[in-house]
Amino acid sequence: MRPLLDWRGHAIFALAARLYLAAIFLFACWHKILEPAAFALDIATYQILPLGLVNPLAIVLPWVELAAGLMLLSGFRTRAAALLVAGMMAMFTVAIAIAVAKGLDMSCGCFASQGSAEDPISWHTILRDLSWLLLAVYVFIFDRRPLGLDRLFGRRKSAAAQEIS
Amino acid sequence: MPGIEPAAVRPVPLQSLRATVRDALLVLAACAAVGAATNAIRQGGIGFVQRSEYEILVPCPEGSGDTQAIHADDPTVWETRTLLVDARPVAEHQRWHPTGAIAVPFDYLEPTSLEQVRRIASSGAARVVVFGDGNNPDSGEQLAREIAGKGIRNVRFVEGGAPLLEKAAAMRGAR
Repeated sequence: MRPLLDWRGHAIFALAARLYLAAIFLFACWHKILEPAAFALDIATYQILPLGLVNPLAIVLPWVELAAGLMLLSGFRTRAAALLVAGMMAMFTVAIAIAVAKGLDMSCGCFASQGSAEDPISWHTILRDLSWLLLAVYVFIFDRRPLGLDRLFGRRKSAAAQEIS
Repeated sequence: MPGIEPAAVRPVPLQSLRATVRDALLVLAACAAVGAATNAIRQGGIGFVQRSEYEILVPCPEGSGDTQAIHADDPTVWETRTLLVDARPVAEHQRWHPTGAIAVPFDYLEPTSLEQVRRIASSGAARVVVFGDGNNPDSGEQLAREIAGKGIRNVRFVEGGAPLLEKAAAMRGAR
């Protein structure tokens, strides 16, 4: 088990996964930020949340996606970003699973608003979201700062510590 | 690859986990503030609390069962072992319906209840003939597909619906 965890290739895969998730979340937040009303309708269509929580989620969630995407892309507080992404993916997966179980014939609203019926929810959507959830967990565990701001700040910190000592 | 830390995966210290969770919560709080502020000043922003229900129209999954059209004057429609199912609203069913027909009003948004499907299944009929309004789309055809998709066998629908069935009934009466 230990050699598997110690494998150096994880760093490369975690970097690729980090950039892939960043691209997905930056792409996904775009229409939601531009059209909050359409996104609120998308959330309401799931018929899960009470009415009072629909708009606050529609207002805040796209910005969390944007922040998480930018943090993953820049390598700033990568683990926190991976944690946020994993939390969001867990939430999306549960919501889609409930909608699929209810037999709702609807678009997932992940990358486009309800007007587009090109992305209907299905068990494939759930599998896709689960795979992204696993990728986020993978980044959380195996990210070793190969590139990004965390590494830059870490170097400066250790250089400053050396100077002091 | 340059820049990869030589240390392998080690158990994450609790302190580090706490810092990660703290960072994530800070990002959440900042995003909530930015989102609320942006929404407040932008054109086309939405109310923080929705007062009225959203008008949601989620099409229900279409029945996927196999069913065939049948003419209103087909003798099998009028056989005693045929269960006639009226897909029209109750008011229209009460205005006229063939003897023995049962009302199972079809709703384009609500699926037919399991209880009604059981009622049809337990009738012991050799075939089920559904008739609706005869419009396009025909509620009878839709209901026939739905109940066939729920496991009822030998389901047909009357082409032209109740108007043609009423004429056929009148013709049979005249004979």
